[in-house]
Amino acid sequence: MNLKMDAIKILKDSYHVMAKDILEFRRNRMALVGLFIMPLLFLVMTGFIFPSGNTQQHMQVGVVNLDQGQGSTEFITQLGTMNKNSSSMNFKNYSSVDAAKTAINQGKIYGAYIIPPGFSNNLTNGQSANVIIYVDNSNPQVATQIEGIASSTISGLNGVMAETNVLKLSKETNQPVNPQAMVFPYTPNIQTTIPGQTNYFNFLAPGLMIMIVMMAVMTGIPEAISKEKEMGTFDGMLSAPISQLSIILGKTTALCARGFLQAILVLVLAIIFFGVTIQGSIFLAFFMLLLGIFSFIGLGIMAISMVGDQGTGTMIVNLLMFPMMFLGGIFFPIQQMPWIMQDISKLIPLTYAADAMRKIMLLNAGIGDVVTDMVILLAFGVVTMAIALPLFRRSMAK
Amino acid sequence: MTEYAIEVNKLTKKFDDFTAVDNLSLNVDEGEIFGFLGPNGAGKSTTIRMLCTLSQPTSGNAKVAGYDLMKDHAMVRENIGLVAEKMIMYDRLTASENLRFFGKLYAIPKQKLEERIDELLELVNMQEWKNTQISKFSTGMKQRINVIRALLPDPKILFMDEPTLGLDPQTTFSIRDITRDINKSGVTVILTTHAMTEAEALSDRVAIIDHGQIAALDTPHNLKKMISTSDTTIFSTRITNLTSQLIEKIKSLEVVTAVAHDNYDLKISASGSDSLNQIIDTIRREGGNISSIVNTAESTLEDVFLTVTGKDMRDHANEKSTTYNSHGQTPKSRVR
Repeated sequence: MNLKMDAIKILKDSYHVMAKDILEFRRNRMALVGLFIMPLLFLVMTGFIFPSGNTQQHMQVGVVNLDQGQGSTEFITQLGTMNKNSSSMNFKNYSSVDAAKTAINQGKIYGAYIIPPGFSNNLTNGQSANVIIYVDNSNPQVATQIEGIASSTISGLNGVMAETNVLKLSKETNQPVNPQAMVFPYTPNIQTTIPGQTNYFNFLAPGLMIMIVMMAVMTGIPEAISKEKEMGTFDGMLSAPISQLSIILGKTTALCARGFLQAILVLVLAIIFFGVTIQGSIFLAFFMLLLGIFSFIGLGIMAISMVGDQGTGTMIVNLLMFPMMFLGGIFFPIQQMPWIMQDISKLIPLTYAADAMRKIMLLNAGIGDVVTDMVILLAFGVVTMAIALPLFRRSMAK
Repeated sequence: MTEYAIEVNKLTKKFDDFTAVDNLSLNVDEGEIFGFLGPNGAGKSTTIRMLCTLSQPTSGNAKVAGYDLMKDHAMVRENIGLVAEKMIMYDRLTASENLRFFGKLYAIPKQKLEERIDELLELVNMQEWKNTQISKFSTGMKQRINVIRALLPDPKILFMDEPTLGLDPQTTFSIRDITRDINKSGVTVILTTHAMTEAEALSDRVAIIDHGQIAALDTPHNLKKMISTSDTTIFSTRITNLTSQLIEKIKSLEVVTAVAHDNYDLKISASGSDSLNQIIDTIRREGGNISSIVNTAESTLEDVFLTVTGKDMRDHANEKSTTYNSHGQTPKSRVR
């Protein structure tokens, strides 16, 4: 009975503290503006800094035709036709290999197709005809792209050529064949479990939601607590008959409310402007957000309990937050990281929270599918809280 | 058997090697205004913080409002009010929002709380500012809100840590008046100050505290008598309708040895135990309107301090050093 009364009192007081904090925040116009701008800024910024896939288009590429025959002209025409769909390259003619090389070195073009003399001859004589491709290897990423495009173009051209040849042969031998099936017996058919196109924002949005809540809460705790400590208002609360738990609970809830608002904003913006689609349960996603917050709140409280002032507290929290942001698999999959970084990622609660959010929102995962993530987050939260709360109490009683 | 408002028993607070409060024992009677007088760093605020449950004593114990300080935090808190040196209020909230927030923490029922807020605002004459944000208030107005905030739960004991520090004379007087009113309504007041005038103007008893220990404890009068060589007293009074005739009348009194004036403020030097009554009678008879009268025997209490601690009090009071003007004011600047 008494315990129940205490619990109710703690919750009631937490509510008062939360309501007070939210009211204070609402009166702060600049902070409100920041609250709304930040999600948009993050979404736009991260979306543009980390481009999805090889989407670079209209790369300047040189063509040097040293062959005088018909084969080379046909090749260049085919190249143009194939490029029309993707328009990944813009062609520019050069008269000599040296001119093309110079243009590459000057950065005017990313690469060049060289059709050597005797190209047509080789074709008509039933030999394979060489195409030389120069790439700008001072820019490894572009070089890889050009290489990829060039080889896929060439293999495409090979296919077209082969189909024509097979058709010709079949006509000569009077055997009806399907040239495409002859040349390409295997065809890949790529499907996704998520309907719609592969979209980087689909990957980004769930992680960004949890990250933005984390930032709101983590940077908010030192601010909320040390500011009041320094202002002296903390003494007013502590000399009243309320539990310290109410203060920390109320303050965190107020911060969570802010974070949730931002997370919802991220989601809405992502859906409206960035074509993000949600497959799973939004309620489960928000429950996951809550669990995510619980998992790293302890770290924030620990940070502020160990240092006295707001400035140092914020610094410590930033120190904790930055690796979490980049290693938590928010902006790029952790599977792409070197193994040592992947191992470090596994120590960060954000990794599991982002992973679970993504599974729920994009893959329509149920509780059963993310239960491991949930257990890890819960454990992380319980352990850090168990360390943080006594530290907090002690720092208050000084 | 008398019940004490506060019983302090060998209370000690150490910060690492530094002993802020050293084996402090004292009793505060119910209904008195008890002053802690001492320089900065003497241990006054630390003592108050411990008695308010804000700081954990290193050793020793105390009973506050009859409750054990160590075992019964919640009951101690329900019976005390704190006017801390740093004002306890949120700038972005209005006066009533601030009071409402803290009132709710004491679980005061809604209806009662609203009544209490109005009642308290009336006490300090600030009803019309009820719905104004604190950020728009002057320091004096803030301090009045700060004081009534502590009175929300109707505490038995009110702790006031340097309540008039950095306030202008008018506000200082008004805060002192409010403090006396509060005391008259039955609230025990514990006050800390490093200003002699403050201790003397308000306290029934004063504990001179230095290095965390009590150097002397008695009524201001007795403290001064303890070391006084003459019975000359200086009164500082403010008379809102002061005339030169009135000054002449005061001068003609037998007990008065000298009179100096500056605007509406008078400094009257007098001797004899009945001097104050005679002066007041004279002023009232002549139709003088006394807004305040203070026994400004700073030098005398300072002498007490000098005698009991063996050093000059102002030596310690560096950044908040006391500067006395004609009516013994507290410093102008408030160090945050």
